[in-house]
Amino acid sequence: MPFQKRRRLAAPALILLLAAFCAAQTIPVETHTLKNGMKVIIHEDHSIPNVAFYIFYRIGSRNERPGTTGISHFFEHMMFNGAKKYGPGEFDRAMEDAGGNNNAYTGKDATVYQDWFPATTLKLIFDLEADRIASLDFDPKMVQSERGVVASERRTSVEANNYGALSEQLWAAAFTAHPYHWPVIGWMSDIESWSIEDLKAYFRMGYAPNNAVMVVSGAVEPKSFLALAEQYIGVLPPRDPPPPVRTKEPEQSGERRLRLEKFAQLPILMCAWHVPETAHPDYYPLRVLQTILLSGQSSRIHQRLVEKDQLAISVGGGMGFSLDPTLFTITAQPRAGIAPEAVEKALYEELARVRDELVTDREVEKAKNILLAGFYRQMKSIDGKANTLGSYELYFGDHRKLFTAAEQYAKVTREDLRRVAQRYFEEKNRTVATLLPEKPKGAAQ
Amino acid sequence: MNRRNPSRRFRRLHGFHLPVSFLLVLLLTCVSAPAQQEALKLPSYKKTQLPNGITALLMEKHAVPLVSFQITLRTGTTADPPGKEGLAGITNDLLRKGTPTRTADQISADLDFIGAALSTTESPDSLRVYAEFMKKDVATGLDLLADILRNPTFPQEEADKLIKRRIDGMRSAKDQAQAVIGNYFDAFLYGGHPYGRPAEGDERSLAAITRDDIAKFYRQQYVPGNMIVAVVGDLGAADMEKLLADRLGSMLRASAPAIQVPEPKPATGRRLLLVDKPDSTQTFFRIGNVGVSRTHPDRVAIRVVNTLFGGRFTSMINSALRIRSGLTYGANSSFAQYRQAGPFAIASYTRNASTEKALDMALAVLKELHEKGVSEEQLASAKNYIKGQFPTRIETNDQLAGLLAELELYGLDRGEVDELYARVDAVTAADARRVIKQHFPLQNLVFTLIAKASEIAPLAKKYATDIQTKSITAPGF
Repeated sequence: MPFQKRRRLAAPALILLLAAFCAAQTIPVETHTLKNGMKVIIHEDHSIPNVAFYIFYRIGSRNERPGTTGISHFFEHMMFNGAKKYGPGEFDRAMEDAGGNNNAYTGKDATVYQDWFPATTLKLIFDLEADRIASLDFDPKMVQSERGVVASERRTSVEANNYGALSEQLWAAAFTAHPYHWPVIGWMSDIESWSIEDLKAYFRMGYAPNNAVMVVSGAVEPKSFLALAEQYIGVLPPRDPPPPVRTKEPEQSGERRLRLEKFAQLPILMCAWHVPETAHPDYYPLRVLQTILLSGQSSRIHQRLVEKDQLAISVGGGMGFSLDPTLFTITAQPRAGIAPEAVEKALYEELARVRDELVTDREVEKAKNILLAGFYRQMKSIDGKANTLGSYELYFGDHRKLFTAAEQYAKVTREDLRRVAQRYFEEKNRTVATLLPEKPKGAAQ
Repeated sequence: MNRRNPSRRFRRLHGFHLPVSFLLVLLLTCVSAPAQQEALKLPSYKKTQLPNGITALLMEKHAVPLVSFQITLRTGTTADPPGKEGLAGITNDLLRKGTPTRTADQISADLDFIGAALSTTESPDSLRVYAEFMKKDVATGLDLLADILRNPTFPQEEADKLIKRRIDGMRSAKDQAQAVIGNYFDAFLYGGHPYGRPAEGDERSLAAITRDDIAKFYRQQYVPGNMIVAVVGDLGAADMEKLLADRLGSMLRASAPAIQVPEPKPATGRRLLLVDKPDSTQTFFRIGNVGVSRTHPDRVAIRVVNTLFGGRFTSMINSALRIRSGLTYGANSSFAQYRQAGPFAIASYTRNASTEKALDMALAVLKELHEKGVSEEQLASAKNYIKGQFPTRIETNDQLAGLLAELELYGLDRGEVDELYARVDAVTAADARRVIKQHFPLQNLVFTLIAKASEIAPLAKKYATDIQTKSITAPGF
């Protein structure tokens, strides 16, 4: 699912006023930079005999251009389809034969490769990863077959998913210039048309070892792990990183509205406001505000739309991690017979309340507790730890920001929350997308 | 965008429940360490019974300052009265909507204030309430949890609200074929058998549920004799036991009659259900029959064979339909396992024009499994995979609490974990051949397709003579 995973990633860390908890807010981490510039972050944890191994490449759909939209994601698929030593299908086969498993995800800013395996197979994993980073192959037959796979993925996540279809239109309307305009999976016509030359050029642009961060969490011994990392990965030559994304989205100066008519029993409402990138100081107050508005059944917007006015079946949203200014979205599904406009009106009234009045101290404390519990939930598994450390390194510029998030949240005041609500939840900064049921012709009854 | 099909993992969709079968499928498809590795042991835990009959399972785990409580009731959606499907789930979800001392809003506010997680799930065999609290808030959290378990008042207004939401939620789910294909498949496969009835209910059965039904269901089922409480987390076992005794020990001793679910009969011959979704650009399909129970003696051998057939990325099914042909983003097979035999199903989807090719290919792979069996090399690979991945299934407090409760529910013991590697290693090629013959049906198959009927209907007769058609907008499954 597009975006979904990103959001889950985005659950951040928090802390408290209480010094007692601060001690628990860190986990031991070692860092090192390989000879070729790839940063390595290691968290040693022997609670299970397994390892979670991630490589985060700083390349995603923001680095694409019209005509080859979706190529980052397609490329991610091609990374499993054969290199010099391990041919088509052999990467997965060798890994699964040895008891390992893998996946990968692509977002607007990054492409992330994940391996989960018994600690005893570490050498094999390095051999597999080094092979595809150093000498990926582009078999024309595999390219053609994988095109079908990605087209099917698009049909499933966009055409057969009303949320996916509407979200794509919302981002396309909210971003007119910046590459967040196009979907991570790409437009269907681009999926059908990119060439092997496009893929090769993309590999040269994005897959420099110095453009990546390696994160490992689990049953590893840092010294011997680093020796293997240097031996297998550190020897690959550094290259120029991708060119900077120059285009900035111009400030929005008027509400944008769009409608999507689709076969459906129920409509969907999505609203979005431009907000800054994750590394911006306003991230923290916005995140606290998001928690107050949308986390849990006691959150303001859930209470109003779902419990009190009973206008919606469900409501959710917020902002994901991002390198460039992004969107704060709120999605609600109206109850049968309720017009999306009625939901919209109630939603705006709730947002007006946080613009006009201060939230309560208790709500701020609640948000901090929710964020703290969220941090511990990320730290429950070796996989959660690897993913979170890498995400902080990418989006906050330093994985250690994970351990200082507490202080940042502690500094957030009620006045800060009112200030960011006034600054961002403005009508002229808003994009509204509505999916309306369309009566199909010739439906069987 | 993910490389793998995320639908193979259980998740809640916009506040709506995916078919319960997803839950148990997980236990099979995801459970899975190399031969040279030392066998894993389930960490030690204490089993005890409170004087009123509540079974308590207590495990200390101090990795993060969180404590998990898995309350599992020995009752499930099979206890729903006919025509009132969804009652068990509604009752479970309404627990938090009011007690004599707290309104629904207060309960939500109090839970959120301590950063608690509280979720409910229903399956044919169990109703579950899962709660997770930070260590510093365990006492407060458990007060809340005990209050909603012991003293729910089921306010009429809250019942009305939830029922209406669930009915609309069902309509919303039908806007996405993947969210409901399991319901259609189970209903078509099992017919009038309890496993054919929708666990979440449907548009009509939900509307028939009254507050009295809910209160009565609660009185009968939420009794200590029915209750398994697994606690895993950052707390001493003695403290856990004391807390439970204090908060739940004074519930009055009572038990409920065990639910009797008849043994389902496998389908014979071939039949096909086509659910028309006129905007569909892909055909979503399931092919299968009645599979096996959670305690079936062949369960480990089946897991090994199914790993190879459709339980991992390089499986035969996914290799054929995705890796080699590009027909789909994902194809898999699974055995959902309940007290009685749950469904076995092959599942995938493909664009309208390649529907016949994909269906034929799925059947051809099934036939190949029967004709060629599996090689020693494949067996070794599946064993490594299951063992290599298994430690990540028993890593966190919530996973362990879920597992302890599940073992207790089905009368299984720690051998399911402690002996797993040995049992997996003991599966022979002869076992595999026998299991394929017995448990991977080749001729007797039930098909369910959600597709654009105007394009796909002519294909149906190729696969079955007994064909039924439904519209996805019609109530029920």
